[in-house]
Amino acid sequence: MTTAVRTSAQWSETGEIDALTFDVSGETFALDASIVREILDLLPETIVPGARPFVGALVNFRGRIIPLADMRFAFGMARTEPTIDSRIIVVEIEFAGAPCLVGLRADKVNEVRTLARDASEPPPRVGMTWRAELVDCLIKHGDAVIIFPDLQALFDASRGKPDAEIIRYPKT
Amino acid sequence: MTANILTVDDSASMRMTTRLALSGAGYAVTEAVDGLDGLEKAKTHRFDAIITDINMPRMDGLRMIEELRRLPTQLGVPIVFLTTESDADMKARAKAAGATAWLTKPFDAAQLLKLVSKVVGK
Amino acid sequence: MSTIDPIDIFRIEAGELLEQVEQGLLDLEQRLDDREQIDAVFRGLHTLKGSGAMFGFDALAAFTHHCETAFDHVRKGHVPATLELVAAVLAARDHMRALVEHPNGDYARQEVALLDQLHAAIDIGARQISPPAQTETVAPLEDAGAPARHWRIRFALPPNSLLNGVNPLTFLDDLRELGACEIQVDASAVPPLDQLDPTALHLRWTVFLEADVCRSEIEDVFLFVMDDMTLEIDDMRGPASAEPPSATDAPPALVTPTEATTPEAKSATEANGVRARRAVESVRVPADRLDELMDRVGELVIAQSRLSQIAAAVANEELRAVSEEIENLSSELRATMMVLRMVPVGTLFERFRRLARDLQHETGKQIELVTEGESTEMDKTVIERLADPLVHIVRNSADHGLETPDERVAAGKPEVGRITLAARQSGGEVIISVSDDGRGINCERVRAKAEANGLVAPGQVLSEKEALQMIFQPGFSTAAQVTNLSGRGVGMDVVKKTIESLRGAIDVESWPGEGAEIALRIPLTLAIIDGLLVRVGAGRYVIPLAAVEECLELAPEQEARSRGRSLLSLRGSLVPFLRLREIFQTGSPPDPHQKVVVISTGAERVGLVVDQIIGDHQTVIKSMSKLHEDVETFSGATILGDGGVALILDIVNLVAAGQDQEARLRAIA
Repeated sequence: MTTAVRTSAQWSETGEIDALTFDVSGETFALDASIVREILDLLPETIVPGARPFVGALVNFRGRIIPLADMRFAFGMARTEPTIDSRIIVVEIEFAGAPCLVGLRADKVNEVRTLARDASEPPPRVGMTWRAELVDCLIKHGDAVIIFPDLQALFDASRGKPDAEIIRYPKT
Repeated sequence: MTANILTVDDSASMRMTTRLALSGAGYAVTEAVDGLDGLEKAKTHRFDAIITDINMPRMDGLRMIEELRRLPTQLGVPIVFLTTESDADMKARAKAAGATAWLTKPFDAAQLLKLVSKVVGK
Repeated sequence: MSTIDPIDIFRIEAGELLEQVEQGLLDLEQRLDDREQIDAVFRGLHTLKGSGAMFGFDALAAFTHHCETAFDHVRKGHVPATLELVAAVLAARDHMRALVEHPNGDYARQEVALLDQLHAAIDIGARQISPPAQTETVAPLEDAGAPARHWRIRFALPPNSLLNGVNPLTFLDDLRELGACEIQVDASAVPPLDQLDPTALHLRWTVFLEADVCRSEIEDVFLFVMDDMTLEIDDMRGPASAEPPSATDAPPALVTPTEATTPEAKSATEANGVRARRAVESVRVPADRLDELMDRVGELVIAQSRLSQIAAAVANEELRAVSEEIENLSSELRATMMVLRMVPVGTLFERFRRLARDLQHETGKQIELVTEGESTEMDKTVIERLADPLVHIVRNSADHGLETPDERVAAGKPEVGRITLAARQSGGEVIISVSDDGRGINCERVRAKAEANGLVAPGQVLSEKEALQMIFQPGFSTAAQVTNLSGRGVGMDVVKKTIESLRGAIDVESWPGEGAEIALRIPLTLAIIDGLLVRVGAGRYVIPLAAVEECLELAPEQEARSRGRSLLSLRGSLVPFLRLREIFQTGSPPDPHQKVVVISTGAERVGLVVDQIIGDHQTVIKSMSKLHEDVETFSGATILGDGGVALILDIVNLVAAGQDQEARLRAIA
């Protein structure tokens, strides 16, 4: 495949990266801007029973049916109600060896920023509420800390059978 | 004016290769899938050259060349036929039928273009 | 989108040529003197060799050359076609396929063996007739001569050259490319104007060439026309020309168009006319482009249905008229689109002649393969996926169904067993059946085996139909010992899975002592299905209409029953039902009047309880994202008229999942 889909931080030779930053449940995340295909207003969602909560819904993206991923499930964050700023970021990732479009739910989309590698550090082993392997790096930007998730790890982790806790049997 | 070439071959891959080479060099290309098809197309249109395979279903290249030469509109049109080295007597038979030149498979685009530009003339 | 690579097209074409060669060989095996087939096989091999060389498949071209040569001898009557030759070329054909698919493999040893077999076969044939007189004498290699500096070239072309498209100027151009030329034209033979035929060529040329070339290089310029022209090439340095003077004195040879083709060429052409129907002009399009087009058409249909909704809401006659027109056009477009993907199943059936032949050798049974309904058309993708299951079923018939010739004679049957491969269309389905006139499927043995494998409880009542369906259970095999044929790792359960993935079903019938029939019922196309649109909670789902038997309201007393016994009584029989609200965990309260959609999975009937039945819906199927591949209860999704998405239920997986859940619920309770 000639067009490698970059889903983790790919620093340029000068140690910089153009990243789209967005907010989810009070945290700021960043994505390599080159994988972003489109930013959409919220769309009607179709729940997929039996799918992992992280990719628990579908949307109709102009005639294509794409999964809608919700970072809050991966990072164990509180659910927030949609606001006027809520958006869907459509990104192209590589999954099971093929390019794949996915929507990411965001509370608010900020701008594309140039982030410097000098300001980045690997995720700490302790002190984070989420699994370190899902985070590529943390980047200090002013006072804020931006989380650069490892999308490949996120989606790969969502592969396979839904785990047991998702199926809740109604008590009789 | 763009020279218009008719290629007659039952093999889609051969037609495509020929077309890519010719259209890349600025020729207009019409395709026919066998001798009968080629003959039909030549009846209604005068081409600047015809490139044909020999072994084809329905009507083979030899028969098509013979028939073509009976058409008043196709007198003098250069006809190139494609052959393989094993066709020892094919050259003579195709020539007797009225072919102008031949090209041995495998050939590359440069060989094809050289021959076509030669038979079409400048 | 990038352009298509001719090499990919060649691969497809090579596959077709190999099929054609195989069919020709199999026909030839029946009638060894069939000229039409000899020509067809030769033509196939010839094209394969030529195109193979064009596209860099050198090993293929080189290997095919041997077979082509063999058939060239047959075609020219030097050797007769023999069963040995057909067998050798059939074996070689399989090797050619390998060379197309994996051109870089190391096949040296196989090729030696195959070529030995081929040459042995030719020798057998050659002994059958007296060796042909060696007519082709190898012309002695002419001395190309040493390079010289000064050449005089005199040439005259046949008078009809211009009519044959020969342009004399090209020869002059080519000579100029060799070196400096001084050209003289001799117009003395041009007749007076009133006698002049403007299409005839009367000019002769003399060219003095100054170049370091040898004679053969000059001859090459005239290669194609040399036999018919007068050509003198003199080395001006030497005292005399090496050319015999007679060649120069001879008048220009006339080439007249031959009047008619030779009789056999003519009959071959006429024979080819029989195949004319097949050679209707066609354009090859990669399947994924068709899929893309299908997607667009699907979207158009969706957009159109939104337009219809708006047009219905807005009281505007003009808008409504346009909307209706677009509706008609898009439905026609969709119908056309469906037809584009259709190919006759005959292309699939042809492969089975070879299988039957091989099976005959492997089993020692005599097998006659009959095919019916070859012109029945199906979606190309579906046909491709049917190939393996059908091979398995036919193998089973030959292995388990048909008896040995002795057994057949003892049973008063003809020695030759018959396997019939038939296709026909019935409504929105194509039914492909494999039937044989063998011993039939022994229901008792199937049952016993199923019990032994723990698939059925001893004493459990099974109808004959249910018992026969047991052969599709994983790991089931009725053969006392697994034979080379059927015991190849794929069982009938794999066949069943494949058919179900095509949204098809399998029927089995058996007549003890008389034979058996396995019928595959496959929807016409994969891309569009008729579905029943239902609502469960807030979600909408499509149930394939082919699986739906009936719809009814869930009676309150049945609704009130405990979950342990979710059964409803349907005309005397008890049908289990699943509450989709629970399986999908909608978390919403049920609608007051619950509906039941009774579906059949082929093996059993199950009721699906839904909140609302919205109605029939023709559905353009979109596959689920790879990220949802693990969700097996849905086979795809579709976009509804309002832009929303409905999931399409995979009936078989859903029922299996539902039963698992029921079982676990019972365990909890």
